Amino acid sequence: MSKAAVSHPLCSTDDISEQLEELQLTLGEGPCVDAFVRGSAVLTPDLLATELQDHWAVFADTALEAGARAVFSLPLQKGAISPGVLDLYANIPTVLDTEELADALAFADLATLLLLDTRIDETGAPTGGPTPDRGFEDLGAYRAEIDQASGMLTDQLGVGIEEAFVRLRAYAYAQGRRLADVAADVVARRLRFSPDAEPDQAEEET
Amino acid sequence: MDQQLLAKTFVELADNLVADFDLIDFLRLLTDRCVSMLDASAAGVLLADRDGELRVMAASDEQVRLLELFQLQNDEGPCLECFRTGVPVIIHDLTREVDRWPRFVTVAHRIGFGAVQALPMRLRDETVGALNLFRAAPGPFDPAATLIAQALADVATISLLQQRTAQRSTVLNEQLQTALNSRVLIEQAKGKLAERQDIDMEQAFTALRGYARAHNRRLADVARALIDSSEPLTGLGS
Repeated sequence: MSKAAVSHPLCSTDDISEQLEELQLTLGEGPCVDAFVRGSAVLTPDLLATELQDHWAVFADTALEAGARAVFSLPLQKGAISPGVLDLYANIPTVLDTEELADALAFADLATLLLLDTRIDETGAPTGGPTPDRGFEDLGAYRAEIDQASGMLTDQLGVGIEEAFVRLRAYAYAQGRRLADVAADVVARRLRFSPDAEPDQAEEET
Repeated sequence: MDQQLLAKTFVELADNLVADFDLIDFLRLLTDRCVSMLDASAAGVLLADRDGELRVMAASDEQVRLLELFQLQNDEGPCLECFRTGVPVIIHDLTREVDRWPRFVTVAHRIGFGAVQALPMRLRDETVGALNLFRAAPGPFDPAATLIAQALADVATISLLQQRTAQRSTVLNEQLQTALNSRVLIEQAKGKLAERQDIDMEQAFTALRGYARAHNRRLADVARALIDSSEPLTGLGS
């Protein structure tokens, strides 16, 4: 599901998952909708549970009919950036154990970056520079500066937080620099972005 | 130690642990009280992310150099050791540990810290993070203060769970992830405000927190409203 169209399914792996997405889109209710609104995962080990039947009256019944028994919705997010939700289902009652949930969360993180990366080309970043595995170095050490710099760029560029983050990454790729280093330059006010210039031509002061 | 302030702190912390409390602001209060009660110059709550990397959830001071000192401990330092072993790491005199943690000791010394304690945040037999206390002067820590600091670390840990409502099935992992994401949100808002008002990150945090308190709002909600420009926030320049 993506934010742009409220719950426009980007990709489904089979008929059941596709039906689940369509269902939530039509009904406007379900775990995916809740996960998106709350910004936290909604784990439903068994759709037959009574309290769930009350909570998502129509969705629970119809999802069961479609063949799903357990549904897990994980928000794709990085602070205020929330490009969508990852929905997983099982056809038998299922409680995710710690390791399985950790895997699912890791997958959701990766999906978030990949989803945002698809927008880099839209911002006009050169396509020659980035390598296919470009997102993965950023999965390492967390740096608060990356989030602070994204926030700063919303104001410098007059764009939303999602685009600000994408532009920051696009610039780092285009320059062949580490994202954390570029972010540190922005936070230290050594590097500014301007709405008029391409991301890779940002005016640099030393 | 100020017994009255201690009692007041625990009452205040308990009062704050209501259904819809603000985790980041709560943890900041806790670090502030560590500084005012426990003979500490600076304090920070660090939480491990899914990859086991320690991330700052709250600090008694949001200055970049202090946050860097916390983050540096992902490579070496008492916090990392405490997190890995699950037991307190108490260093009376940092100058003696220069061989053990060369980078950490150098940076800590430059900022002006002579002694440090790292206390584990434990939940269901699992260490999820650490409370880090720095003191300017070297010398032994009062054992009673260390006990209280550990109690505060336990309260911080409980608060991570308390944040979630009981109506749905969640797991520790996911709760920590949500907590970390609220910190990311604060960082994004700090950046936007710092840029807009030409102030530093500490000032931006103080302004956000001041606004949230003055309007009885959750810090995370104010941060989101600021980033989304979804409502006028008088005084925050939007």
